[in-house]
Amino acid sequence: MTFVKVKMGLAKIPPAGKLNVLLAEDALKNVISSLKQEGHRVSGVSRQESAFLIVVEKEGERP
Amino acid sequence: MNIDDYKELKKGGMMRQKEAGRFSVRLHIVGGDLSAEQLRAICDAAEKFGRGTVHLTARQGVEIPNVPTESLAAVKEFLGTTGVGVGVCGPTVRTVTACQGCRVCPSGVIDAPELALAVDREFYGQPVPHKFKVGISGCANNCLKAEENDIGIKGWIEPRWGGKACTFCGICAAVCPSKAIEVSPDQAVVSVSLAGCIGCGDCIESCPTRAMGEGNRGYRLYAGGKFGRVPLLGRKILRILCSPEEVMAAVRSVIEFYRAEGRSRERFGDTLMRTGFPALDSRITERIAESS
Repeated sequence: MTFVKVKMGLAKIPPAGKLNVLLAEDALKNVISSLKQEGHRVSGVSRQESAFLIVVEKEGERP
Repeated sequence: MNIDDYKELKKGGMMRQKEAGRFSVRLHIVGGDLSAEQLRAICDAAEKFGRGTVHLTARQGVEIPNVPTESLAAVKEFLGTTGVGVGVCGPTVRTVTACQGCRVCPSGVIDAPELALAVDREFYGQPVPHKFKVGISGCANNCLKAEENDIGIKGWIEPRWGGKACTFCGICAAVCPSKAIEVSPDQAVVSVSLAGCIGCGDCIESCPTRAMGEGNRGYRLYAGGKFGRVPLLGRKILRILCSPEEVMAAVRSVIEFYRAEGRSRERFGDTLMRTGFPALDSRITERIAESS
């Protein structure tokens, strides 16, 4: 479900655009591995107490 | 029928029932795989020779219960035409269980059904001091409960940290289910305790920069597990094995060890409790070295 929400966020931005996603620890593996499989890039990570804020760069070239 | 006749039938997978003159016929199935044609033949056999029911066993097997003594030869012949053999019981190597492995399951690391067939071809029904079970899980999710078997095999991915691309974000440590990873940004080091690693590969899959990569990918063996009245969990043995050939050499030498050291009607785990695991480890290591 978390990945579906991330995908919905990515659908709203252009290729090579950036999306900030706040993830609980238990969602990290599924979301990051799915993003990698679909060609997106995690370009930044920072710890936010018990969660992680990740910056996702959408796959594709800047329009 | 005398007691020796019953013993012979039991060895051949014909299990005497409580009800006089009836047997439950155990079938030879590897890794729970059956073709649709074989399943139809089993259904037909259950209707023709039994009472129209089959029993699914705890280890991916199938039995046809309620077969009368006089039909035992006929049921064997009937099923034989579709390639479904009759199973074994007694002090032998039993059904090899396996998950669907890397050809079907997205989590699979090894080809568990292929390995199960290889183990079955060489060892199924072979005599040993007591019942001996082999179970193969394709990955660390361990659906086939490797540690409950006399020999358990698991697909395994060992991580290796390559420092250059690492940003020390801490995701690898956060996703590690066994907390075997420690991230030290101040010292610019990520350490992985291979003793604590469970070989799941989650750290590799989750690493945003691919700084955490694969070290070894292969087969992790466990020895001495069993269930029943006095359960024992199998213990990890050997290093990670890298090929099916190495695994087969290891299984071969484990069985040789059991035949040499095991007492009659003593499960392998109990044998290992007497001999200790290091004796087994050194015997197998020698054997693998000879075979490679």
